[in-house]
Amino acid sequence: MSFKLIDRSELVAAGLLVALGVFVAAQAWDWPYLTKDGPGPGFFPLWIGLLLAALSIALVALQARDAAAGRAPEKTDWRGTGRVLVGWLAVMAAAALLKPAGFVVSYVLLTAFLIRVVFRQRWTQAAAVSLGSAAAFWLLFVKLLKVRLPAGPWGF
Amino acid sequence: MDILAGLTQGFAVALEPMNLFWCFIGVFFGTVVGVLPGLGPSATVALLLPLTMQMNPTAGLIMLAGIYYGAKYGGSTTAILLNVPGESASVVTCLDGFEMARQGRAGPALGIAAISSFVAGTFGVALLMLVAPPVAEFALRFGPPEYFALMALGLSMVVLLAGRSMIKALLAMLVGLWLATIGIDLFTDGPRYTFEQIELMDGVDFVVVAIGVFAIGEVLANLSVKASGQMFPVPKGLRNLLPNWQDLKDSRFALVNGSIVGFFVGVLPGAGSTIASFVSYGLEKAVSRRRERFGTGVVEGVAAPEAANNSETGGALVPLLTLGIPGSGTTAILLAALILWGLRPGPLLIQDNPQIFWGLVASMYIGNVMLLILNLPMVPLFAQILRLPGYVLYPVILGVSIVGVYSLDQRLFDVWLVGGFGLLGFLMRRLEYPSAPLILGLVLGDLMENAVRQSLMMSNGDVSILYSRPLAATMLLFTAAILAGPLFRQVSSWRLKAMEREA
Repeated sequence: MSFKLIDRSELVAAGLLVALGVFVAAQAWDWPYLTKDGPGPGFFPLWIGLLLAALSIALVALQARDAAAGRAPEKTDWRGTGRVLVGWLAVMAAAALLKPAGFVVSYVLLTAFLIRVVFRQRWTQAAAVSLGSAAAFWLLFVKLLKVRLPAGPWGF
Repeated sequence: MDILAGLTQGFAVALEPMNLFWCFIGVFFGTVVGVLPGLGPSATVALLLPLTMQMNPTAGLIMLAGIYYGAKYGGSTTAILLNVPGESASVVTCLDGFEMARQGRAGPALGIAAISSFVAGTFGVALLMLVAPPVAEFALRFGPPEYFALMALGLSMVVLLAGRSMIKALLAMLVGLWLATIGIDLFTDGPRYTFEQIELMDGVDFVVVAIGVFAIGEVLANLSVKASGQMFPVPKGLRNLLPNWQDLKDSRFALVNGSIVGFFVGVLPGAGSTIASFVSYGLEKAVSRRRERFGTGVVEGVAAPEAANNSETGGALVPLLTLGIPGSGTTAILLAALILWGLRPGPLLIQDNPQIFWGLVASMYIGNVMLLILNLPMVPLFAQILRLPGYVLYPVILGVSIVGVYSLDQRLFDVWLVGGFGLLGFLMRRLEYPSAPLILGLVLGDLMENAVRQSLMMSNGDVSILYSRPLAATMLLFTAAILAGPLFRQVSSWRLKAMEREA
C-alpha cells in the first residue's frame, strides 16, 4: 500500500468519514436493534455507520492501489482556498453578529469585507455595493415581504 | 379524470392572474440563473424555497418548476456567447454554439437554441401529461413493502448520479441517510444524534442542508476561481436572431431526436439533463451525413442538445410526481418542497391534488411560450447580466441564503448550520464527492426507514414481506441489477487487463 502517494486531503477526508462512521455505529449500539415489532431505532444507524466506516477504508485502499500502479488521480487543486476560507470565516462572523448587531449591519459588514478583502475592489465600490444591497434587502424582505429578520439595538 | 378534463382544469388554475405572475417570475429567474455561470437551478430553487412556504402549493410549485426549466433555456446563451456553460446541461451546446458565434452566426445559434428548447420543452410536457397519470394509477397498488423497494430503487440511482468515483457517491449518500436519522425517532419517541441540542429534536431541516451545500458551497467554490473570457455581442434585431430556412431544415431530425431522447433519459432517475444532451448530440453525430463537421459550428449540434435538455424536464417530473422519487438535485429539492407544503408525494398526489398536477402541466405549456419570448427578442437584455461582476452577485446570494434559512423558524442556529453545510458543500466539490447523492439520501432516508419498519410491523417481524410480494420483488431485482452494473463493468475491465498482460 502506498499511502504516501495519496493526496493528503483525500486521506484526511477518508479519516474523518471513518471517524464519523465509528461514532454513528457506536451511538446506535446503545439503542435497541430489534424490537418485538421489527427494527428498533438502532437498526438503520448501525448499518449506516458500519457502511460509512467500511467504504471509507475501501476508498483509501483503492486510492493506494491506484497510486502504486501509477494511476493516481490528479492532486486536488487547493489554489485559491485561502480566499475561500477567509470568505467562509466572514460568513460565520456575520452569523455571530446577527444577534447583537442585527441583519442589516451584519450584512453591510460582510459584503464590504468580501468586496474589499476577497475581491480586492476599492473601498468606494465596497461601500456603495454593501450599503445599496443592504437597503434593497431591507426594503424587499422586511418592508415588502414582512420577513422577520434579527434587528439590532437601532431597530433594523 | 380524463386528460382533456384534467387539462381544462389545469389551464383554469394556471391562467389565474397570480399563478400566471408566479409562472413568469419562475421562468424569468430561471433564465437569469441559467445565464449566470456561477449559480445553478438547484441553488436557486433551494434559496427561494423558504419564501414559497407562505404561498399556496400550486403557485409555489409553478414558480419553482419555472426556475428549473427556465434555467435550461438561459444556459445556452452563455454557452454560445462565452463558451462557458451557464448550467451543466449546456456543456455540449458550447461545442458547436460557440463555433457558430466565432463565425459571426451567434444570432442563428441563439435562435435555434430557443426554438429547439421551446419545441422539445412542449413535447416533454405533452408526454408528461400522457404518461404520469397511468404510472401513478399503477403505483396505487403499493403498500409499505413496495415503498421500501421503491426507495431502495431510488437510492440505487446513486450509481447513476456518481461522478468519477462510485465509492465517493455512496459515502455522500450514507452521510445523507445519517443526517435523515437525526432528531426524535417517531416510533419510540427517543432522540437520535441530537447532541442535546433542542434545535435538532425536529431533525436537520432539508432546506438548510440544500441551501448550504448548493448555494453557499457554490459561492465559496466561485471565490477560489477568477472568471475571465471574451463575450461575443448579441446581434441587434429579431430578424438577425432567427435561423434561416436551411438551418431549420438541417435541424429537423436533431429536434425530433433530442425531444425523444431527452424525455426518456429524463424518466430514468439519476440520468439528468447533462447526460440527455450528451446522448442526443452523440446520436445526432452518429447518424449525420456530415458528422466530421460536428464541433465546427453546425446548427444541429446546437439543436440536438438544447432539445434534449429541455425535453428531459418533462421526463424527470414523471418519477417525482407519480412515485415521489427525485432523480437529481433540483427534483430532490422540489420533492422536499412538496413535503414542506404538507403534501404526500407519491401515487396519490395526482388523485388527491389534481389541481396541483394539472395546474403545473398547464403552467409549463404557458411557461414555455413565455420563455420563447424571453429568449428570442429579449436575449440581448439577458446577455447583459453576464456583465454583472462576481463581487456584486456572490454577497447577494449569501444574503438571500441567510434570510432564507432564518425565515424558516427564526433560529440563529440554522444560520450557523447553513454555514457549516456551506463549507461541507465546498469541500465536497473540491474533493469530487458528488452532492446530489447526499440530498437523495437525506430526502429518501426517512421515507425508507419508515417503510421498512411499517412493513415489518405488518408481518410481525417476518423479513420475507420485503421481497415476497411480486411488485416489491421486481423492484428489488431492478435495484440489484443497477447496483451490480458498475461491478460487472469493473470485473470486465479487470478481465480485459489480465488478458492484455497475458498476451
